[in-house]
Amino acid sequence: MIEKKVDCVVIGGGPAGLAAAIEADKQGLDTLIIERDVTLGGILQQCIHDGFGLDRFKKRMTGGQYAQRFIDVIKERKINVLLNTMVLDITPSKEIYASSPDEGMLHINAKSIILAMGCRERTRSQVLIYGDRPAGVLTAGAVQRYINMEGYLPGKKAVILGSGDIGLIMARRMTLEGIKVEGVYEIMHRQNGLTRNVVQCLKDYNIPLHLGTTVKSIHDKKRIHSVTVVEVDKNLKEIPGTERDIDCDLLVLSVGLIPENELSEKAQIEIDPVTKGPIVDSDMMTSIPGIFAAGNVATVFDLVDYVSQSGEIAARGAAKYVKHPKEENIETIDVHPGNNVAFVFPQKIRKKMESETFPIFMRVKNEACNVATYLEQGGNKIKIKKHLIVKPPEMIREILKTNQLDLSSDLTIHAGE
Amino acid sequence: MEQAINEFYNQVKRTCGDEVAEHVQIEIDKRNVVKLTGEVHTWQDVVDIGHIAGRLSGTKGVVNSIKTPEFQKMPNDYPAAEKTGREKGIIGKYDIVIIGGGITGASIARTLSKYNKSIVVLEKKNDVCEGASKANNGMIHSGYDSKTGSLKQRMCVKGNAMYTQWSKELDFKFNRCGSFVVAFDEEDEEYLNQFYERGKANGVPGIEILDGDEARKIEPLISPEVTKALWTPSAGYIETYEVVLALMENAIDNGVKLMTETEVAAIDTESQKATQVITNKGVIQAGCVINAAGIYADDIAEMVDDRFYTLHNRRGTLVLMDRKKRSFSPKCFVGTAPKNFTKGGGPMTTPDGNPFWGPSAIEVANKEDVGVSPQDIQFVMEKGKHLSPGINEKDIIRFFSGARPANYIEDFIIEPSEKIDNFIHVAGIQSPGVASAPAVGEYTEQIYLNLFPNTKRKENWNPIRKKQKPFRECTQEERDQLIKEDPKYGHIICRCETVTEAEIIRAIHGKVPATTVDAVKRRTRAGMGRCQAGFCGPRVVEILARELGVDSLEITKNGGDSRILVSKSRKEPEK
Repeated sequence: MIEKKVDCVVIGGGPAGLAAAIEADKQGLDTLIIERDVTLGGILQQCIHDGFGLDRFKKRMTGGQYAQRFIDVIKERKINVLLNTMVLDITPSKEIYASSPDEGMLHINAKSIILAMGCRERTRSQVLIYGDRPAGVLTAGAVQRYINMEGYLPGKKAVILGSGDIGLIMARRMTLEGIKVEGVYEIMHRQNGLTRNVVQCLKDYNIPLHLGTTVKSIHDKKRIHSVTVVEVDKNLKEIPGTERDIDCDLLVLSVGLIPENELSEKAQIEIDPVTKGPIVDSDMMTSIPGIFAAGNVATVFDLVDYVSQSGEIAARGAAKYVKHPKEENIETIDVHPGNNVAFVFPQKIRKKMESETFPIFMRVKNEACNVATYLEQGGNKIKIKKHLIVKPPEMIREILKTNQLDLSSDLTIHAGE
Repeated sequence: MEQAINEFYNQVKRTCGDEVAEHVQIEIDKRNVVKLTGEVHTWQDVVDIGHIAGRLSGTKGVVNSIKTPEFQKMPNDYPAAEKTGREKGIIGKYDIVIIGGGITGASIARTLSKYNKSIVVLEKKNDVCEGASKANNGMIHSGYDSKTGSLKQRMCVKGNAMYTQWSKELDFKFNRCGSFVVAFDEEDEEYLNQFYERGKANGVPGIEILDGDEARKIEPLISPEVTKALWTPSAGYIETYEVVLALMENAIDNGVKLMTETEVAAIDTESQKATQVITNKGVIQAGCVINAAGIYADDIAEMVDDRFYTLHNRRGTLVLMDRKKRSFSPKCFVGTAPKNFTKGGGPMTTPDGNPFWGPSAIEVANKEDVGVSPQDIQFVMEKGKHLSPGINEKDIIRFFSGARPANYIEDFIIEPSEKIDNFIHVAGIQSPGVASAPAVGEYTEQIYLNLFPNTKRKENWNPIRKKQKPFRECTQEERDQLIKEDPKYGHIICRCETVTEAEIIRAIHGKVPATTVDAVKRRTRAGMGRCQAGFCGPRVVEILARELGVDSLEITKNGGDSRILVSKSRKEPEK
């Protein structure tokens, strides 16, 4: 077994891991990226649509182009990368076990770890669709991989369940590839993806979006040949008599993403039941000192730009930790979701903040127009920013000024009065 | 006989109403086989009437041909397959032809493989363990539940005891964890007393009634409200698929041939002997035919004109939960007295640590109907949540159904045909068919030896089958060694279950080759985890295509028309 000692191990070479590794290297840490695929880039490799990098590079890029910007820097800075290597275990004492076809098992002692494993798609059973279990039921990400990377079409006529962003993007992609997209069905009474994707991927291609409608059952034994859809009421209960059968040979599921935290759990890191990712502080440090989390493994972001930013914050945190590992008992205050706020990320803020500003990310529960975000501490409410519209699918990033805060008491964030 | 017929009509009137009774005809032949015809409104009536006939004193079997609009005969195109098979001509000759590659067929094949006889197992689907054998939770019942003196009871108690030896010889996971039936009040306790008395009579070892605290000492997750519990320490569980695969691999090592995607379409007979089995793959000459065809065993019996039973689909739905919730899941099976819930499964934990609930028991008209309905899930979840709080719908990662081959006398039918000298019926093997499988194998062996008394044992029969230890269960050092020997062990394909490329390749080229995505999944667990193949699915398709030397377009989920991909997205890239 190969033994290694490294300042900072970044697990995952997608957008969060790439940004984190570059920043860690800049901070002077001996850094190693461990990536399970044969190339860097993570899921961005199969994202051949554009819209990446608007915030960060002020430019519309494809997923591949966005990733390449970072990969070039990784090469320039000669940052160590282990490809085709899968981390199997992490211990709370920051030992890593990884497997590699070329090197066998690796045992790495890390001074700091940045978790950047990303997220995975929810699957059919988790959304409880009844009926048969034929071929032709795939997640949007798997369809994307088949079409964009492997050169295969998994069907001729598709129904999409869920209006998540990948589903919307695949509606357009499949249409361009000659697959008839019958429609997108969304159980909620509002869309689940970004508005720009609804406009550019559905409206521009005349693909109908059926809100308040879900797929109830799947038919046929071997290969799917139809689904039954049904409308739901305000409480998401099926409305009897609204069932319709739709012929299709492909059902694409775009029913949400979940942070991938099998490794975090092995390291006994505390997980937030709402975000389903580790609870982190303003340095992106998890409940285990020296282990940080960045990107979609921590909470599912909607923009890759935010993912990269969280990676950089985590790397600066890791550098601080490696340089002063003895600083135990790091004190934090809690950030609570307030009015119309589903969650705030990070969940904690350090009492000792070095930077003058720092971002917090949040999602609202319900759509609202002309509202401001507020932070509340000990009865005082301070307005953060005014928004023309806030929507649950669109993450809000607010930049807080450290000198605005009283870092001795907990903080609540509201969307609206 | 007249008395039986009167009794029958009285009960049908009471259960289904006078009108229904008027539309049903009954006929009892001299073997005491009851034949039912007519037409009624609902499938439930058909099943109820069948059971009434089955309970008539002395009934050997019930052939229930009552029609209902709910029932549509499945498109089992026997004539077409027969035509194809006869055109292909004779493709083999075997002393023993076993029809069905479920746990029953596999057990019989492995048991008979110790004799100097050529044996073939014919399986219609593309893999073993595809029918009723997958419609259960792997419970090895203790046998308290079966009617004393029934074949079921004898097979179950004996089969249960034989699992210790089976698991040693065949190297599969078997956990003799014991099972409980719990009581919440005096009414429940009365049921427990009945079960206890029957268990004693059935010869269930170690059966006793414990008070709530004693039960909680064994299983701390039993509710504090439980007052008494029936404890049967001999109960256990296995993963049925693993056992069927182990049996079949061991049988193959001992010379048995397995033919998958081979459907029996007709059987030729000549002077009271089955001579040839006609399949879609060709004609197979047979010295003896053993009918272990699961829910289609009645069709097979019909092919030799000896159908004296009808099998109907008592669908069982099972729900698999996330392994993360294992601490909420009882180590031993916990059931309830049948007051608030109809009979059927309850919470348990798989050998791999997933909470596993079910199966439900719902009568459905169609033999092939293994879809999952909201009623199935409700049935399983209500009972599960009652007995195992802390786990709910959010933890579901997978559900599926299978068809139990129930018959109307509610007992196993294992006997030589009274009409055909070399034909053995092994039919109606539903719950507790998995627990009974070892005993059913031996029982069938005895019937065979009676029919063919000069059968000689092989000198070199090997009862041992060794399993390759999964990569995920290896220590870091063992993993390192495996990767050194074969770098493909270093390539993880399924992240959720830590399945390596080397293991998938082994499965594809195994003794019972895995040629589909589902078959790879069952053998290796690739795609069985939380992401349900979202990530590894495309990679498994690619490996299957490469190893089988075909294009990815040819790869199916589970054989036949279940292709994953339909066309290439682009022509070959221009050079």
